Amino acid sequence: MAPRPSRLLVACASALLAGLIVAAPAQAIQLAPAEPHSPNAEDMNTAYWVMFVVTAVLIVLINAALIAAIVRFRDRRGRRPARVAAGRGALRPVLGGLSLLAIAIFAYGVVTTENVREVESSGPGGLDASQSAQVGVKGAPQAAVLEGEESATGEDPITGAEPTEKAPLEIDAIAQQWVWRFEYPGGQPGQRTFSYGELVVPVDTTVLMNIDSTDVMHSWWVPALGGQVQAAPGKITQTWFKADEEGRYPGRSTIFSGSAYPAMRAWVEVVGVPEYQSYVEQLRGDITEAQGIVAREVASQ
Amino acid sequence: MTPPTLAPARPEIVTRGVPTPRPGWVERATSADHKSVGTLYLATALTFLVLAVTEFVLMRVQLIVPENTMISPEIFNRLLSAAGVTTAVLFAIPLALGSISYVVPLQIGARGVALPRLNLFSYWLYVVGAVAVYASFLYTVPEAGTYSLAPLSEMVFSPSHGVDAWVTGVALATAGFTLFAVNLVVTIGRMRAPGMAWRRLPLCSWAANAIGYLLLVIAPVMLAAMVMLMIDRQFDGVFFQAGEGGAPLLYEHLAMLFFSGGYAIVVVFAAGVISEILPTFSGKPIFSHRAAAASLVAIAVLVPLAWMQSMYEAPLAEGWTIMAMAFALALVVPIGTLLYIWLATLWRGALRLRAALWYALAAISTMSIGLAGELGYSVISVGWQLDNTTAAQADTLYVLVGGGVMGGFAALHYWFPKLCGRLLGESLGKIALVPMLVGIHLYSLPMFLAGLEGQPVDVFKYFEGTGVDGYNLIASIGAFVLAAGVLLQLANAAHSWGHGLSAAHDPWGGATLEWFALSPPPPHNFDAVPDVRSPEPLRDIRDAVRLRTESFQARAAREPVAATTAPHARPEPATEDSDDAENPSVA
Repeated sequence: MAPRPSRLLVACASALLAGLIVAAPAQAIQLAPAEPHSPNAEDMNTAYWVMFVVTAVLIVLINAALIAAIVRFRDRRGRRPARVAAGRGALRPVLGGLSLLAIAIFAYGVVTTENVREVESSGPGGLDASQSAQVGVKGAPQAAVLEGEESATGEDPITGAEPTEKAPLEIDAIAQQWVWRFEYPGGQPGQRTFSYGELVVPVDTTVLMNIDSTDVMHSWWVPALGGQVQAAPGKITQTWFKADEEGRYPGRSTIFSGSAYPAMRAWVEVVGVPEYQSYVEQLRGDITEAQGIVAREVASQ
Repeated sequence: MTPPTLAPARPEIVTRGVPTPRPGWVERATSADHKSVGTLYLATALTFLVLAVTEFVLMRVQLIVPENTMISPEIFNRLLSAAGVTTAVLFAIPLALGSISYVVPLQIGARGVALPRLNLFSYWLYVVGAVAVYASFLYTVPEAGTYSLAPLSEMVFSPSHGVDAWVTGVALATAGFTLFAVNLVVTIGRMRAPGMAWRRLPLCSWAANAIGYLLLVIAPVMLAAMVMLMIDRQFDGVFFQAGEGGAPLLYEHLAMLFFSGGYAIVVVFAAGVISEILPTFSGKPIFSHRAAAASLVAIAVLVPLAWMQSMYEAPLAEGWTIMAMAFALALVVPIGTLLYIWLATLWRGALRLRAALWYALAAISTMSIGLAGELGYSVISVGWQLDNTTAAQADTLYVLVGGGVMGGFAALHYWFPKLCGRLLGESLGKIALVPMLVGIHLYSLPMFLAGLEGQPVDVFKYFEGTGVDGYNLIASIGAFVLAAGVLLQLANAAHSWGHGLSAAHDPWGGATLEWFALSPPPPHNFDAVPDVRSPEPLRDIRDAVRLRTESFQARAAREPVAATTAPHARPEPATEDSDDAENPSVA
């Protein structure tokens, strides 16, 4: 059964197949996003898989029906088209089914999104930020974007958080063309400890990120640790993650930001709690020392 | 100043005041005939398709291997900025507008459009805008990215005048689209043939009507954004400047509203074309005219309302993103209904698999993948993960190539005989579809997988060891194959314009009124405008002619055979013993 019309289909299919066969060894194909290492990334991964299945089923159904129609109903000698159209109410089941599908996906979308937004508290092995040496604690973030924001900032370390719950670690991530600046808690305002490009955080600890930009739009995205968040100048956005494993997680900006845009990358180094504390101490010492040198230079001139 | 007198009529030859014939190109450039304007729009849009394909191919050449340095970052970013505006503003929307300008007045049985000069003016605004964008290649090319997002497009960050050219070009083009839409809605609203009630309006005209109102909403919004950006750049404005009382996010909102509206135009136009082609070539009426028209309108309304669906990452209050998700998911109903109607129209038909139908079927298949995928990205937590990656881009490309390119070629195949009285080469058209279909999958599937690995869009390089090398190589090959198919089909069209097979006024047996006019139609379109009594007026006319012919035949069969006299062929009264055996109907 390979007369004219099928020939085109066969040609397309075989060319595509040939392409994929050539392509297959080039890459071990992975159908899921980066392996999640944070509860919010896990929720998003689940949502991805649910929607992947729904989408794939729809695509296969539609295209199978289309191909079946082409093969079965092409014009042959003696074929008469059945001149029928929808009678009254013939589309009602279709409309009903589609509406149900839309409502179901919407409900699922709302639930899964709430799950992702919900900030989990630090685990047993994590750092309690209120216990660590903090001289000054910065004020509440300006923009309330995340729902978990109230519970997170409601715990005032000075008045005392709930004894069972560890305070999250709050990091300010400030984007600029084309590097990230991370400011760690502690230190006087204007004299905060900071690092560029690489963020070091303790494992099993809730990290709240306040994301800002000093120039153009950027976005914060570490696939293993959660979704994208836009860094818009003048507007602070929040996200969070809780890394479950030590390691180095790459991230990148996904909003075009000018000539060196691909360089707008970031790395999150997840380390143990003691390593984190010593890292920050070391960083603070280095910065103080460097600032001292600069101050002496300035004074000597 | 002599008073008029009633002189006896006598023949006279007038030589003054009669316009001398003008050169063809002047006639073409100044003719306000909707068919001439439509042809100009189509030709210009297809020219920009060639440019968009070229820019796209160059960018894919750069991305064949990781950390490629063949094309410098500056050049790549300029290609990127030019390709975005070329694809959306200079190709996809004008292609739809050109087809609409040509076909819709014919389809609704009008002898012209309501505001012909406005129509022509809209074309020239668009062309001047396009020239403004491309003239910048002579000094500095725009380099602020696909959407020229503020504050990157502000003077501080993009001091080159390429961005000014981008802004000016888009402003002029959107001003043109606004004027086009005014003419379009007035024409469809007030100039339909007698009897063509809304329920009998052909589906492509329904799509055009929806596009007209949609453009009236989104084109002025983009025009306003461009004016504001220009004020920011050149006149010390602070509309989009953070820290000065401005709101950078405002630009993103305005631009996303426009670009999602452009997406809707591509989808609705392709859906309108498909809804014309399927009934014609399956020999059946559309399964439900009313539901199809309602779906087209619903898509045009819902897509732009869901503009924040592409801004889930932005600092928006939670409620807005939920609202955007609701509108985006509500699209399941009209899009699903349309797909069902199309399949039901094909089912139990007799499909004449001409090139136009093949392109329509390919458009359905390709768009269905993109639209189903869009369903996934509409869920906020999936969007957070995959927006702005090549996975989302591959999905958008499925819709734009399926709707804009394949749907556009379907329209071209279908109405080409009306444009120039010739058929668009059938066999070459079908052959060109193979690389297009292979190319789009070969491009989009690896790009989807690379997006899962985390490759963002718009980058001029990717890094080794990020697991996307192989994907990019295959995607580049796919892009070249796709481009080859598109260019082959364009060459086919260019050749057929002068050398195609001649076609009569109704080569496909269409059911709508554009096939009642000659090919190409005279300036006034119709010698007589028929009354419309159903959504398939031409079918009614054909039926009436058939019935009349049959009644003539029946009468002729009843009449006795007339004989004539030998030398002068004068009618001779029938003899009594005429041969009844040859006329069995004579009782």
